[in-house]
Amino acid sequence: MELKVQNVFKNFGEKEVLRDISLSAQSGTALGLLGRNGAGKTTTIRIIMGVFFADKGEILIDGKPINRDKIRIGYMPEERGLYPKIKICDQMAYLAQLRGMTSKEAQKACDKWLERMSMTEYKYKKLETLSKGNQQKIQLAVTLMCNPQIVILDEPFSGLDPVNAMLLKDVIKEMIDGGAIVLFSSHQMNYIEEFCESIAIINQGKIAIDGKISEIKHSYPRDRIAVTSSQYEKIAPFVLQRMSEHIIDVKNDGENTLVIRMKSPDFKNRLFAELSDFDIDCFKVCEPSLNDIFVEYTEGGI
Amino acid sequence: MKHILQVLKFEYLNCIKNKAFIITTIVIMILILGMSFVPAIIMDIAESDGDSAEGDIIGIVDNAYHNSDLITQSFQKIYPHGVIIVTEESMDEVKAKVDKSEYEFAVVLNTPISFTYVTKNNSLMSEEVRTITEAVQGIYRAVNFEKFGVDYDRTATILDAPIISETITTGTDQTKNYFSTYVLVMILYMAIVMYGQMVSQSVVTEKNTRAMEMLITCAKPTHLMFGKVFGSGLAGLTQLVVITGTALASVKMISMKSLPEGLSEMLTMPVSTVIYALIFFITAYFIYAFLLGSLSSLASRSEDLNTLTTPVMMIFVVAFMIVMMSMTSDINNTLMIVCSYIPFTAPIAMFARIALSDVAFHEIIISIVIQLVSIYLLGMLAAAIYKIGVLMYGKPPKFSEIFKLLKEQHQANKALKSKE
Repeated sequence: MELKVQNVFKNFGEKEVLRDISLSAQSGTALGLLGRNGAGKTTTIRIIMGVFFADKGEILIDGKPINRDKIRIGYMPEERGLYPKIKICDQMAYLAQLRGMTSKEAQKACDKWLERMSMTEYKYKKLETLSKGNQQKIQLAVTLMCNPQIVILDEPFSGLDPVNAMLLKDVIKEMIDGGAIVLFSSHQMNYIEEFCESIAIINQGKIAIDGKISEIKHSYPRDRIAVTSSQYEKIAPFVLQRMSEHIIDVKNDGENTLVIRMKSPDFKNRLFAELSDFDIDCFKVCEPSLNDIFVEYTEGGI
Repeated sequence: MKHILQVLKFEYLNCIKNKAFIITTIVIMILILGMSFVPAIIMDIAESDGDSAEGDIIGIVDNAYHNSDLITQSFQKIYPHGVIIVTEESMDEVKAKVDKSEYEFAVVLNTPISFTYVTKNNSLMSEEVRTITEAVQGIYRAVNFEKFGVDYDRTATILDAPIISETITTGTDQTKNYFSTYVLVMILYMAIVMYGQMVSQSVVTEKNTRAMEMLITCAKPTHLMFGKVFGSGLAGLTQLVVITGTALASVKMISMKSLPEGLSEMLTMPVSTVIYALIFFITAYFIYAFLLGSLSSLASRSEDLNTLTTPVMMIFVVAFMIVMMSMTSDINNTLMIVCSYIPFTAPIAMFARIALSDVAFHEIIISIVIQLVSIYLLGMLAAAIYKIGVLMYGKPPKFSEIFKLLKEQHQANKALKSKE
């Protein structure tokens, strides 16, 4: 299955919120949806969910306009929203039934997911009596209990302790392996890198960049080399003296690592050969981090 | 439709299970039960109290006739259990004795036609002055009739001949239904205010807790609103039925205690009145629940609720005031007739008119049809406002802004339809 957002435009009154947004995601993969606050992520998600209609453009499933009665979508909003004063099992069952489950199926799914989240003991408790992290787990259980084909998670990890984060990671991985399309919106780049093959960065209502993370990183000039060696103190003057015409500068990056900036990426192999006399632990091209990419594409926006 | 039913069920059960809701119901039931015993208790007290208790000393200073036999006789007639003492004490002495409770009260006859009533505590309900006036008047008449040689005792039967009257009402007897109508109009008013606010509160809570964010991805806002309005309404109706049931049962209980005819008549009401009350409760509920529910969707915190719902509440309060005031004068005045066709005031205005007078059947039908049409239109309007409101956070918009947004939405829908 393929989810495609095609050339979507959306205005709220005078304000242009989305301008020509296009995305696509396949079954069994996760797409990271990045962007600064107010960039248009939530609006995009809401258009996919059918809460808003696009002024122009379409949401397609396998090339056909999406039929939301047939496709099950699980959505976890960034603003966690459940009833604080109602018993957990009651509200889980209610939301599952609104999404088309029968009462019995809903009960079963409720039990199953509470157990999966190791929250069974809270079944008859009111939501407000739970800690923030546990409420978060309930929210995720609500999102996933209808066995969705498309899962949309907005900042799912905020407020979770490391153990719960692990649990959540496992669950999300399970969903991806199970063939769901996962749309993942977060500002915690490490999680994006962990789950998502592809990303799309939205800035001021436009797609700033999208594609596979590895390809995006690869597209950057590969002119910086990180060298890790116990002899790094000797390497720095050696490089600067011997190859000054090819090298811009050498920086100490801590932990026995030097970052060497070359005038041309083609010099890489010669540099590697020149350093063969030293005891090198690691020699690799410095790729920009997702953080760097994010900042680069969204700086100055909003 | 399925969604509406699911929301309805959820809202209904939540209302019914709500602690505050249960407590309110129980408190009202206890109040009703308590109140139903009040008339009986009052009657008991009145009986034991009598006009004056056994052996109460009543002091009388006779400065007018100087005829203590006449005075004693006349007063003994109206205070058969009292001890009448005719003295010649001064006003100050009398006052002192009354103050020390040596006299229950005292009467100083200044002239044959004026007296001073001296009492320690003058209660609001006291009829003493009237009774004494009658006695003094009786003495005055007897003395003067005698002067002219007329036998007072015989004349008295002519003067005070009891006249027996009977009223036959061909239409609705306003006096008979006044009390029950008053109570029903009160109940209608309070129920609508209460359940209207229940809907408002529940909408704002969903927005405030952001449960709305989840809900709108599961069901259409329109369905959510209709489900909520129906669910809360049904919960309200359940409460009303329970309370009315208690009231009816307690009325049965007191009527067994054989109340005076006037009182039990006041408590009974025709079945048709109760049915009309139910019909107008339902129409009023929908009119106000749609308005309040949709307006509350524009608020993101309960603090903002007041600004949004006050105008609507004001309309209803004004309607209630008009009805209450008209009930004491002419129930079918022009204002009431106009009000009984305006959807916002019609439910209580028309109800009061039906209960207290004869309203032509076609007038009732026209009023109900007007209300039903308004409910339909308000439902559509409410759905449109709700759609805008549910995802709106921050400061609630002004009314002019709401209309602008509605217009925009309408145009967007039109554009979408023409595209299809």
